[in-house]
Amino acid sequence: MIKTDVIIIGGGATGCGIARDLALRGVHHYLVEKGDFASGATGACHGLLHSGARYAVKDAEAALECIGENSILRKIAQKCVEVTGGLFVRLPGDSKRYRDSFLKNCEEVGISTQVLSPSRALDLVPELNPAIEEAVSVPDCSIDPFRLCMLNAVTSRKKGGGILIHHKVTEIIREKGRCVGVKVQDKFTSQTKEIRAKIIINASGAWGDIIARMGGSEVPMTLSKGSLIISNHRLTNMVINRLRPPSDGDIIVPNEAVCLAGTTSIQVDSPDAIEVDAKEVDIVATQAEQMIPRFGTTRLIRAYTGVRPLLKADDSDNRNISRGFKIIDHKNGMFSIMGGKLSTYRLMAEKTVDAVVDQFGVRAHCKTADLPLDGQDELSGYPLSKRLKKMDNIVCECELVDRDSVENAINNLGIQYIGDIQHRTRLGMGPCQGGFCTYRALGIMQEAGRLTPSESIQILKGFLQRRFRGIKPALWGDQLREEQLVESIYLGILNMGHKP
Amino acid sequence: MSVHEYDAVVIGGGVSGIMASLHLSCKGYKTALISKGDPVCCLSTGCIDVFTGEGNPLEKISRLPKEHPYSLAGRETVIEALSFFRETVSRSGLPYVGDYERNRRIITPIGTVKNTCLVPLTMAGAEHAEGEYLHVVSFKGIKDFYPSYITSRIRSSAFSVFDAGVSTTLGIAAKFEEPAFLDTFISWLQGLEIPHDKIAIPAVLGTGNPVSIMEKISSAVGRTVFEIPTLPPSIPGLRLFRALKKALQEQGGHIYWGKGVTSVECQGEEIEAVTLATTGRSSRVQGKAFILATGSFVSGGLYATRETVRETVFNLPVSVPGERKDWFNADFFTAGHAIEKAGVEIDASFTPTATRLKNLFVCGSIIAGSEVMKNQCGHGLAVATGVAAAKMCEKRLS
Repeated sequence: MIKTDVIIIGGGATGCGIARDLALRGVHHYLVEKGDFASGATGACHGLLHSGARYAVKDAEAALECIGENSILRKIAQKCVEVTGGLFVRLPGDSKRYRDSFLKNCEEVGISTQVLSPSRALDLVPELNPAIEEAVSVPDCSIDPFRLCMLNAVTSRKKGGGILIHHKVTEIIREKGRCVGVKVQDKFTSQTKEIRAKIIINASGAWGDIIARMGGSEVPMTLSKGSLIISNHRLTNMVINRLRPPSDGDIIVPNEAVCLAGTTSIQVDSPDAIEVDAKEVDIVATQAEQMIPRFGTTRLIRAYTGVRPLLKADDSDNRNISRGFKIIDHKNGMFSIMGGKLSTYRLMAEKTVDAVVDQFGVRAHCKTADLPLDGQDELSGYPLSKRLKKMDNIVCECELVDRDSVENAINNLGIQYIGDIQHRTRLGMGPCQGGFCTYRALGIMQEAGRLTPSESIQILKGFLQRRFRGIKPALWGDQLREEQLVESIYLGILNMGHKP
Repeated sequence: MSVHEYDAVVIGGGVSGIMASLHLSCKGYKTALISKGDPVCCLSTGCIDVFTGEGNPLEKISRLPKEHPYSLAGRETVIEALSFFRETVSRSGLPYVGDYERNRRIITPIGTVKNTCLVPLTMAGAEHAEGEYLHVVSFKGIKDFYPSYITSRIRSSAFSVFDAGVSTTLGIAAKFEEPAFLDTFISWLQGLEIPHDKIAIPAVLGTGNPVSIMEKISSAVGRTVFEIPTLPPSIPGLRLFRALKKALQEQGGHIYWGKGVTSVECQGEEIEAVTLATTGRSSRVQGKAFILATGSFVSGGLYATRETVRETVFNLPVSVPGERKDWFNADFFTAGHAIEKAGVEIDASFTPTATRLKNLFVCGSIIAGSEVMKNQCGHGLAVATGVAAAKMCEKRLS
């Protein structure tokens, strides 16, 4: 049995942010996550560090939080944030009145804007629809959510915090009505662990109500599915928003070599087993195409979807916290942090930890806004120049990941999951989506003695099935062509479609 | 612009297109073959799959619906075409073995067993008998071949790894063309003292003359040696393509390589000529008859948009299975996605049904309803329909 002060459930941005905050205030903790870091909504969003402008008209408080956090994260998370700047573009037919209140509200909140003529905007982003009426520049940025989570976790580990990924909570231990610990199960080995603590923080996002119920309470939530598409090209170097009230497919964010466009908003009953519909892809592609026409003809590499954990409109126990997120004290040893967004993860973590440390009298103040994230110096990033230097023994041709990187990831990080290798090396993130290199990486893991051949084939099958679910809704053009080739490899050459 | 005139112009340099050109060239027709580049058969196992499953593939195709391209070609033409294929590749130094009425089993790189009909001689020894010992040879650093997948599935087996100094299949194949390398490899293999039975090697035994390399190894170690086809780029696929192309060149067929069709000229109900994009100047290729052999999606004969499927050379009407959401099954491993049915509909004369063009014939996987993945019949269908379409074309020309 492990004893600690605080257990955090959920390894998204909020959970990892809480771990870092607790570590910096000297509170011992354990974080448990059933998948990899950022495997829920954190990893399934745009990767947009909001300037707040998107919320300025309807939700000034959220906008204010965003602009504040935007400037903090630019400072403390330089290796996660790309300072792209953003544009709000107004297309023919978009309301001028909305534009006026947009500018006025941004000014009130303190978001700097600049109105640009179409030709000036086209100078900045040549792929923009030339028919735009005007554009407004804002300080939006692109942010890498996965890296953000990992770096937050670095501080926690450094200060002796425990981080258990791929550990699912199977039970919340209760004694005399109080939540006193959790039982978790290692997904890989099926071994179970018992962890006991004074406080449990439920930062499980869309799974919040499920976890709260395990602890004997509940969190009223509305689950909303948001789907996005990925283009094979970086069609813009700036974040592009539509200058109109928020709706489907109105944001395009550049990220590494690709662009992400989304989203939709469809209410769902469960956070598990959600899929993108072909129709959602059409909606997002059609909207994105209006802002950047080439989105209609460029190759899409896949679609993905996440579930927003929205709060039900019921503010009974909302204390002095803004409307964007809410901290619930279940009065049974468990706190839930719900709602919010990636851009404000740090603030959410700060407020949560403030509420929690009160419980056991720690006086330390939050330092997360002042200290840069640990582990950034060791990050090399993925500069192409560096990757081009090591062209022999390439395992992933799309992203130029070589065999050494894969072997290092396996040997040094003790990685057991193919998905973990992908997140940490960019293996399989390119146009073929791991169609070729996953088979290779598994072969390497097998040779390294990490897996038996039959485990490896099971993992490969599972991977191909998941991969196909992501690709299927956006299959046409060259991506369909590639998919037919991938199918001919696995079902034809390797004959994996039938029993031997 | 240079102008050239032919009896028949074949568009598409894959197995079906080359077989069609060869048939017509052999019959004395002046034939041109146009290809954008190396065909997708270079990505294949090189084996001629006629129809999926165990047993007699000819009997299975006789039970297909009457509008399936195999049915339109007819049993006799299928047999004639397969025999013609065997004679052709044999003359080019790439003999194939197999029986049209019995599928044989080969081992895949992942240790599964795959049924196919005709195999290159270097894979003749691949049929594995229960209890037989198999020694798998691999190469250091090779990307797509992990021998433990195979040895974990076969009870009596083991593997050894040879360091060829290079790790790509093409690189290793080039090494095998060097006599000194081959000798080193053979003495290494002799040193292993493999107990008995068979030796399996990924398909890298040279690109030019694999049979003599295989025989040299086999006689030196006194064991049956066979190749296992690997993932793309595939050496047996490349050899197949080169053997067919060589046969066509020897037969006097003219080849426009690396060139795509940019425009089409029609006169009434006939295609008169196509224009090719070439560096410097364009060429106009005129023909009495045309054969479309551009294949399905991978090779670019068909192209899917968000809403529909287009045929890319003549913009022929394409039969499309429903809306995009219906094109694919939910399960990756269930072959037979609806999109596989997409293609150009033809009748027994191998001409497209939904157009007025009278001198256009169609062969290969671009034909609607081919379903080559589901039926695992890619090269077999290409060989059969290539010859069948050429015979119909011949009828028109005579």
